[in-house]
Amino acid sequence: MRKLLGVILCLFLVVGCAKKKQDMNTISIWHWMTDRHEAFEQLAVKYEEQTGVKIKFDLYAPSDAYTQKIIASAQAKVLPDVYGVLDKKEIFASFINSGFITDLTEEFQKNNGEWEKSLFAKALNVNRFKEGNIYDVKPGVYGVPLDVTNIQMLYNKKLLAKAGIMAPPKTFEGFLAAIAALKRVGISGLVSGWGEMWMADCFASNYAFNIMGEEKIMATYRGEISYTDPDWIKVFTIFKTLSESGAFAEGIVTKLNKLAEQDFALERAAFSFNGSWSVNIYHDMNPDLEYGAMLPPVFNKNRPMSIWGGAGSSLVINNSSPRRDKTIAFLKWLTAKEQQAFLAKETRNLPSNREALSAIPPILSQFAEVMDNTTHPTIWMQNEFPLVLERMDKGIQSIIIGEKTPEQVAREVQEVKEKELKKSRRGR
Amino acid sequence: MNYYKVKSILKSSFLHIFLMTVAMACLFPLFWMLRSALMTNETVFVDKSFIPQTLHFENFIHAWEQGNFGTYFLNSIIYTTSVVFCIVIIASLAAYAFSRLKFPGKNLFFYMFVLALMIPLPGSFVPLVVLMNKLGLANTKLGYILCMVNVGLSMSILLLKTFFDKMSPDLEDAARIDGCGKMRIWWHIALPLARPAIAVIVIFNSLNVWNEYILAQLLLNDKDLMPLQRGIMVFQGAHSVDYPVLMAGLTISVIPIIIVYLAMQKHIIKGLSSGAVVG
Repeated sequence: MRKLLGVILCLFLVVGCAKKKQDMNTISIWHWMTDRHEAFEQLAVKYEEQTGVKIKFDLYAPSDAYTQKIIASAQAKVLPDVYGVLDKKEIFASFINSGFITDLTEEFQKNNGEWEKSLFAKALNVNRFKEGNIYDVKPGVYGVPLDVTNIQMLYNKKLLAKAGIMAPPKTFEGFLAAIAALKRVGISGLVSGWGEMWMADCFASNYAFNIMGEEKIMATYRGEISYTDPDWIKVFTIFKTLSESGAFAEGIVTKLNKLAEQDFALERAAFSFNGSWSVNIYHDMNPDLEYGAMLPPVFNKNRPMSIWGGAGSSLVINNSSPRRDKTIAFLKWLTAKEQQAFLAKETRNLPSNREALSAIPPILSQFAEVMDNTTHPTIWMQNEFPLVLERMDKGIQSIIIGEKTPEQVAREVQEVKEKELKKSRRGR
Repeated sequence: MNYYKVKSILKSSFLHIFLMTVAMACLFPLFWMLRSALMTNETVFVDKSFIPQTLHFENFIHAWEQGNFGTYFLNSIIYTTSVVFCIVIIASLAAYAFSRLKFPGKNLFFYMFVLALMIPLPGSFVPLVVLMNKLGLANTKLGYILCMVNVGLSMSILLLKTFFDKMSPDLEDAARIDGCGKMRIWWHIALPLARPAIAVIVIFNSLNVWNEYILAQLLLNDKDLMPLQRGIMVFQGAHSVDYPVLMAGLTISVIPIIIVYLAMQKHIIKGLSSGAVVG
């Protein structure tokens, strides 16, 4: 019996240990997009039929584990032909500087910039390094955006109608009036996952852009303007006003976005602050949900509202890939109108190709229409110190729960800012 | 009824209520998982009843098919049996040697194994990937099995050595007088006596290998080589999760571990109570 068991186990080992080799006509792509895997595989079959080139999509999820795999594989020099760098921009830059990523600038500019023009400029900018960038990367475009994303406000049509609101509010005053009307009929106002601090940070950033504009924000980041400036106080006061008017759903400061998504999908709140990816989630949770997308209501009517957005998912090409030309050809094909429309339809993500917009569902169109209003920390010339952002996010939470005033928070944020500035000057 | 009888009934009632509460707290997540597995994505957040109004057993079929569970299940069985078998053999040999034999550097080697326990798995990711690639074992079942054996070895050696240290040497002396060599003593005397400790090692390592995914994802590229946890990941989208099918997948994945536990329950309890895990 023991011998038999030993033989069986040895057989398992021997049978399972044969190493497989990949041929030169097969492009290997490592990705993390679970919800798009099936659609990718369908496109791979189609591409093989058209060109004879085999595409092997390998899925590694969740994204944290994927990131670890990419970093470990880069160090072992076993990266696939195509992959994604999901980390911060500085890690992306270090991959480029280490020679792991192909510079695609020339490819994008070929044929009078045909490929570049077909894609959203904002999406491409996430993968672009400008002249004089702080990461010391040679200027150029290093990634191919597969889809775009942005974060807006969503409104429940049925709940607004119940409160007698016929159109979503466009101004901040209009929004406060809508909240009052909703309160009268016992409907909760705005829900969002502000337990994940970056979301509250994103909301604050939207209003900072609307109130003072990009240049003044960048000047604050450079340390030239204080957070106690009246414009920043106005930004913090927005949270106080919303909180005092009862605009926020209960527990917003500790709510995770997944739970906030449930609340909106199950019609427990009339407004939500969430990204274009939520279209997928709401469809899964409540296919009958009637909702629309809108820009956060403007506070300063003289300046447009800027929202966070850009490339959703991007892929890069391994600089040492022996199949680089074939890989570039495939990515051009993948980001062409027809394939992008297919991906948008199948996966409910915004396409990165502008021409594919005509073929997407109406709710996605509402998100796509405002792509020109998008901005993102990854494309700003300066970024704030993480500790300052953390202080600001915690301060916003304190304002919402009525623990601190906007002025107090502004002073505290400025104190951290000054400490960080001193540290960075000493570091130089 | 006399005082002592009342006292005994009260004591036993409290004890039973306490144990029932603990048991319910342990079983409730499993029940919730099974309940959610029988619902739809639309009802899973809305229907708060204990037993869903409509039972969707088809979720199990979807989980099996969509998650490609057939291949992954077999892979996980191969990985778990191979790794646990190797760990039991290597760890028991090593622990017996550390406990009974005298050789130069014995303590140094033992402490090296113990020190390996201090290294968290993520800390060894990059060296493991580099090593496996250099040995040509990346993306092979053997490479993954060897890494997992390495992961479980230190703890198992420590447990078994503690057990062997406490074991009386009299039986071994008797076997030696009867002409047994070191290997025969290990096989015929030490190993059977260490059964409770081995049961603990088997269950701990089975759980560890069965639920492992991060290292598999790091070392394996071919999805046909992936373990069962890869199938479960398919239901967790970047932003959305198909909860009922995910729960159905999880239910399927816990069944073998429950079977292993039930089969070894007697030995495990004996092992835990007889000090197999005092180390």
